[in-house]
Amino acid sequence: MTTHDAIITVADLHKHFKVYKHHRGPGSALRNLFTRAHHWVRAVDGITFEIQRGELVGYIGPNGAGKSTTIKMLTGLLVPTGGELHVAGRVPWRERKAHVAQIGAVFGQRTTLWWDLPTIESLELLRYIYKVPQARFRRNLDDFRALLELDPFLDTPVRSLSLGQRMRADLCAALLHDPPLLFLDEPTIGLDVVAKERIRQFIQHINADRGTTVILTTHDLSDVERLCRRVMIIDHGHLLFDGRLEALRERFGGQRELVVDMAEAPREVAVEGAEVVAREGLRVTYRFHGGEVSAAELIGRLSRRYPIRDLQVREPEIADTVRRIYEERLLEQ
Amino acid sequence: MRSLLDALDLYRRLIGMQIRSELAYRTSFVLGILAQGLNNMAEFATLAMILSRFEGIGGWSLREVAFLYGMVSAAFGLMDLIFSAFDPATFGLDVRRGTFDRLLLRPTNVTLQVLGSKFLLRRLGRIGQGIAILAVAVPRVSWTPLKVLYLPFVVISIVLFFGALFIIGSTITFWTVESVEAINILTYGGTEMMSYPMHIYGRGLRRFFTYIVPAIFMNYYPALYFLDMPDPLGSPPYMAFLAPLAGIGMMAVALAFWNYGIRHYASTGS
Repeated sequence: MTTHDAIITVADLHKHFKVYKHHRGPGSALRNLFTRAHHWVRAVDGITFEIQRGELVGYIGPNGAGKSTTIKMLTGLLVPTGGELHVAGRVPWRERKAHVAQIGAVFGQRTTLWWDLPTIESLELLRYIYKVPQARFRRNLDDFRALLELDPFLDTPVRSLSLGQRMRADLCAALLHDPPLLFLDEPTIGLDVVAKERIRQFIQHINADRGTTVILTTHDLSDVERLCRRVMIIDHGHLLFDGRLEALRERFGGQRELVVDMAEAPREVAVEGAEVVAREGLRVTYRFHGGEVSAAELIGRLSRRYPIRDLQVREPEIADTVRRIYEERLLEQ
Repeated sequence: MRSLLDALDLYRRLIGMQIRSELAYRTSFVLGILAQGLNNMAEFATLAMILSRFEGIGGWSLREVAFLYGMVSAAFGLMDLIFSAFDPATFGLDVRRGTFDRLLLRPTNVTLQVLGSKFLLRRLGRIGQGIAILAVAVPRVSWTPLKVLYLPFVVISIVLFFGALFIIGSTITFWTVESVEAINILTYGGTEMMSYPMHIYGRGLRRFFTYIVPAIFMNYYPALYFLDMPDPLGSPPYMAFLAPLAGIGMMAVALAFWNYGIRHYASTGS
């Protein structure tokens, strides 16, 4: 990785919140006004990373891990407590208008569009707000109309759109001004499989075709698996993991499975490095730890000992991997 | 100049969106206007009946009280039409729901965007009824050119005055939503207070509405001028002309506080 083409640089970033204890019961409002005991919560507690132009990064973590606090700092909504943060050479909160003109953001739960009016009217007004030249607006809108299939509902009030349609309209709205950087927060939440796939294809397209850098926060790890080469995991304000998805799988993948169909039923099926978890007729399922023995080694050992007709390796679900990382705190410093 | 024109253009477009949104529900819109107006009319009818029994309030006749009542009612309605996005009760919710963040993500003036995020056309009902009540007072006034000229300034000043209270109340919700009731006492309570001649209130209350919240300049003193009545408390006649100063002053204070609040919000996120 070269550092000169980084679009985001974050160094030792902190955000601490003062949390007040609230009195309850009679007269509580008055007491809350004068006696406010508080403690500090370190929502983001010293994270460092760089994101290069053109990357598509998955940013994941459980609720309250510091994910949205990071995004709020990156989008300029929050001022950091400490550390350094540059996006496209700017300090986001210091130059709010210049910064937000260069980013797009879609928050899956909320729309940025005007609820009671036809979708196209929101897009037109955003064109004005972002000062997009008419010709470029036309070109982009034509592109997105085709890619996102907007035509059936451009004249429909936003409140009447399905969730999937609304998400497509919001994606279009976020990209009309050609932002080099796009933040997506739960873009597939609540969507059915087909709608999810359409959104994912679009995200992949704008990343590959327009070179848009995308930061994707999501609970749906299949989004990450499908789209992101790089994944960052945050928990308790710390960056637990930052690297390629395969590396995550290799290090923490834990249990992989090898399903073997024997040519004839052997008396016993044991092999060192793996345990037998199921045996059904000629089919034997082994479980082994990816860090201890490779699939190739194991297959070698088995084929030397038993007559094998067919076999298949099952990878652990990335969701299971990540859940194990949170639960067993595999990455705690 | 250039940026002022840009601001007006943006405001016009945002308001256009709101008006078209509101007109999208035509029946509810019409009913809303009627309900607003009738509600207000009923209140005044009650007051009129009481006044006809008791020969007025604090020496003021029905027509004279109608001047105060109609003026505040129409001006508050106009304020609510324009500034309803700053209603502290709903603004506090918008902040907590993240609606306010959405505005911060757009590369244009935040205050204008908030102002343009609501435009309660149905308040026309209240404004209309306020004007109708004010009309009751019109024959009582000996009109001069200066009075005709000054009247719109008084209305605009009251709009600024209540708008400023709304903005201050909304700004406080960056820190706590528990104070919304307190600011409601000033706005909704303020309209009640201002609907009657201020000399009927106790000294402490009058002082509060002179020096802390300058409500007395907005309606009572101007009314004395329009109705050619001497102040029973002996204040000088130029007091009637301080309304624009008080209105603009309140708004300036409110906007300064608001800008401070936005900076605080960005540093705390709550």
